[in-house]
Amino acid sequence: MAVREETGRLTVAPRWQRIFPNREWWLLVALALEILFFGQTGVRFATVENSVEIVRLAVELGLLAIALTPIIVSGGIDLSVGSNMGLAAIFCGWLWHDQGWPIWGSVAATLILGLVLGGFNSLLIGWLRLPPLIVTLGTFSLFRGIAEGLSGGSTSYNGFPAQFLLLGQGYIGGWLPPQSLIFALAIIAYALLLHRTIFGRALYAIGCSPDGARHAGIPVSRRLGLVYLLAGLVSSLAAVVYIAHLGQARSDAGTGYELMAITAVVLGGTSIFGGRGTILGTILGLLAIVVLQNGMRLSGFPAELTGLLTGLLLLATILAERFVPRDRAILKEGHNQPTTEETEVKNRQVAILSAVILLAALIVAASNWMLVRSLKEELSESRSTPAADARRQITVAVMPKAKGDPYFISCRKGAEEAARELGVELIWDGPTDLDPAKQNEVVEGWITRKVDVIAVSVENEAAISTVLRKARARGIGVLTWDADAQPDARDYFVNQATPQGIGNTLTDEAARIMNGTGEMAVITGSLSAANQNEWIRFIRERLAAKYPSMKLVAVQPSGGDRDRAFAEAQNLLKVYPRLKTIVAIDAPSVPGAAEAVRQAGRRDVKVTGLSLPNLCKPYVHDGVLDSVVLWDTFNLGYLTVLAASELHQGRLPAGTTSINARRLGKIEVRDGQIILGSPFIFNRDNIDRFDF
Amino acid sequence: MSEEKPATNAESELRPRDGGDRQRFARLRRWWRDYPREMSVAVVGAIWLLLLALCAPGFFVAGNLSDLAVGNAPALMVAIGMTAIIICRQIDISVGAQFAWCTVAAGLLAKSGMPRAGLFLAIPLFGAVLGMLNGWLIAFGGIPSIVATLAISILLRDGLRWIFEGAWIQELPGDFQWLGLGQSSGQWVIVATTLLVWVLATVASGNLAAARAIYATGSNEESARLAGLSPQRITLGVFVFSGALTGVAALLNSVRFSELQSNSGNGLELKTIAAVVIGGTAINGGRGTLVGTLLGVVLLGTIGAALTYLGIHPSWEKAIQGAIVLAAVSIDLLVRRSNGRA
Repeated sequence: MAVREETGRLTVAPRWQRIFPNREWWLLVALALEILFFGQTGVRFATVENSVEIVRLAVELGLLAIALTPIIVSGGIDLSVGSNMGLAAIFCGWLWHDQGWPIWGSVAATLILGLVLGGFNSLLIGWLRLPPLIVTLGTFSLFRGIAEGLSGGSTSYNGFPAQFLLLGQGYIGGWLPPQSLIFALAIIAYALLLHRTIFGRALYAIGCSPDGARHAGIPVSRRLGLVYLLAGLVSSLAAVVYIAHLGQARSDAGTGYELMAITAVVLGGTSIFGGRGTILGTILGLLAIVVLQNGMRLSGFPAELTGLLTGLLLLATILAERFVPRDRAILKEGHNQPTTEETEVKNRQVAILSAVILLAALIVAASNWMLVRSLKEELSESRSTPAADARRQITVAVMPKAKGDPYFISCRKGAEEAARELGVELIWDGPTDLDPAKQNEVVEGWITRKVDVIAVSVENEAAISTVLRKARARGIGVLTWDADAQPDARDYFVNQATPQGIGNTLTDEAARIMNGTGEMAVITGSLSAANQNEWIRFIRERLAAKYPSMKLVAVQPSGGDRDRAFAEAQNLLKVYPRLKTIVAIDAPSVPGAAEAVRQAGRRDVKVTGLSLPNLCKPYVHDGVLDSVVLWDTFNLGYLTVLAASELHQGRLPAGTTSINARRLGKIEVRDGQIILGSPFIFNRDNIDRFDF
Repeated sequence: MSEEKPATNAESELRPRDGGDRQRFARLRRWWRDYPREMSVAVVGAIWLLLLALCAPGFFVAGNLSDLAVGNAPALMVAIGMTAIIICRQIDISVGAQFAWCTVAAGLLAKSGMPRAGLFLAIPLFGAVLGMLNGWLIAFGGIPSIVATLAISILLRDGLRWIFEGAWIQELPGDFQWLGLGQSSGQWVIVATTLLVWVLATVASGNLAAARAIYATGSNEESARLAGLSPQRITLGVFVFSGALTGVAALLNSVRFSELQSNSGNGLELKTIAAVVIGGTAINGGRGTLVGTLLGVVLLGTIGAALTYLGIHPSWEKAIQGAIVLAAVSIDLLVRRSNGRA
């Protein structure tokens, strides 16, 4: 707080302390250290281009974080902002796509919806005076649930007009991302509101003591109501930016953003108990997180490490705050102890000390920035001079949909094998959970790093195609593998098997098990996964065309979680007692469903599906699991890296009909697709021959 | 979450129990007055189950009920610990991550040949250590619980991902599943252990001095300190207790399967917090019962399965959960206000 009342007189804190009342300056030091470190390890980290990309990636999260700052200052919390984004995104897409509204009309309506959702929170918190944590925990589920319910989880809207997409993907004057202007406006508005108005001061008072504020004549309910209302508006604004950025609107927009935003706010010195915090601090906290993420990516460190460091940073900040001696009035906030003369002196000493450290850090950071840039230029010059050096090691960056998935882990083994054989430098990175937004961020990082070839297993084609086109425009070879993007966004698609082939094989397997008649059910991974929905579509088509007496009675999602697949299968067995086959089309769901059938003791029900042989071996030998359909994942990874290397060396011109894939023999190339082969059926007789 | 709290919160818990009123009707009315949330959740739950009985009679088959009981037992176990934490005016959003670590530890220890009895000692101990980490940061490090457990949750989850890269723990010894007891008795052990812990905790929460100390600390930390209690030690103790129960829950959950995934317990923290809150435990601490928590777990645990029975699209589950949480707190508030006026 800028002005503190101490024993009856007003003391004006020194200027720097007014800017950083909660010692957020240390975040500048942390930021400087990050830049220093990643400047050395990261490829093309300290460039203007990369700085601009960092800002672009920070906008959605940043909007939520600044909206949360006044809420947390007032002693509250809002867990629903991320879910609000999901519902707003679906609403915007629905108005524009299904109702035929003009795009800017839908955007306006979406902002109004944001106000309504924020208003719902503020009604319950401000008017009914329910605890914010509970209310927003409820609306956290409710908003996301409505978004998923309305869209069936699976609908996503894309094909937005180019003019609108410019907002999220374009550049003003060739370098400035347009959404950063929105972000800047929001920052200014919130900074004015919180730091320059009576309203803002009232929030600090409420955060220190709601009862005290009430006695001082502050209309607590109305003040609180307004900040939650505004948070709703800003969340829907973040949703609009998100749609423009990713080019698609879906119900899982903003999943998990609430916790990241709270982390940024708390890191920025805002007390979770309320009463102190600044917008500047929040922005520093946000930058510390985003720069860390970006730097880790450009340095090729695994994404999980970013989470570890973020957690440590958060703990370190708060512990340091606790154990480093400092102004007691702030430390013992809740107990309202008066400041003594002694600590005031200490304050001044601490002030000078910190100012010196800060200055030093800035100088180091700046000099390092210059140094690294000049070094980079020298290096790139020395690299480019012997241009004829074709034997320079090429870098291939391969992205799975989710790093932790056993399926992709087995693909990685093949990719590493190929990289060893061909002497290629392999980067293997991607989201830790299914998340199209994260995929975009990783590709952006790779473009900045200027890798030679990018190969992506696409989670959502509309979301990633724009950024892949950008990569191609920068002369980077682009492949997709496992799941395709829009055809003009990549050079080739390494196709393990067509969706139709998979759908047909699965349906034929089910038909063989149940002699072409009876009820079957599907357990899918996520209702929003494009390729799984595609397979289900072909299963339905095949059933209609070839097996009229077979009936698909239910499609249940497992969320990629074995335990949930188990529970869903248990339900299916009881709700549909005449069920003969469960087809699970997600790797962990197959053993989950098989375990449920085994425990139910239903010898008349069989499971089949897409999974990894290793996960399924015990069940196949048991007889519960009839067969598992899959391609050789090792070969898929191998072929992807091999094709990437061929592409970079110009051996895949348009019109190629086959490539020589070393240990895989001759592989067919057709219509821009490199085709691995037809799906393979694992059963009791052959499954022990495979180890992946 | 302000430091000051309205004085009315702890009133109902601390009201002396007058034994003079023995009429049954009067007692019912007193329950309504003292435990409005538990009663209203019980009524909502009864209506919900009645509705299910009318629309989907198949739901009440013994097989389904036992499956639901076994499936939700671990969640109840975690929710017992969470109730203690919330009564103590703290929160723990790292239980899901703790659950995952305990599951992995159980799998690895079982694979290394540790006997079953040893598992029942080692895994709760491991959970207690994880809980102690949280408790120490909060009680002695002075970090607000929501921030500390958020950070610990990120650390634990990403640490697990980093180490295991999503690999499953397979080839467990044959006597790991159902503890070698066979399916039907194994299921009984899971449900019976959970109910036993629940009954013990419920009895203890009303009678044990240590349990009353939790209520006192959550109700007003400063008063508790002045009354001679040590709020710091009590807070630490509550997190250790919850960690140990999370360990037991993870063990009971993992013996249901013959292979273990390394990312289990996703969303467990929010599910248990919601169940506890639905059950009437005040987020501001000092008030709450385990009867309410049981009701909350039952209500939330039946929704997913019931939707399948009713033929409703599964994507509506989250919306219904959210609506129930909001309805429970709003009804509670209305009952409280009308009680206040009467």
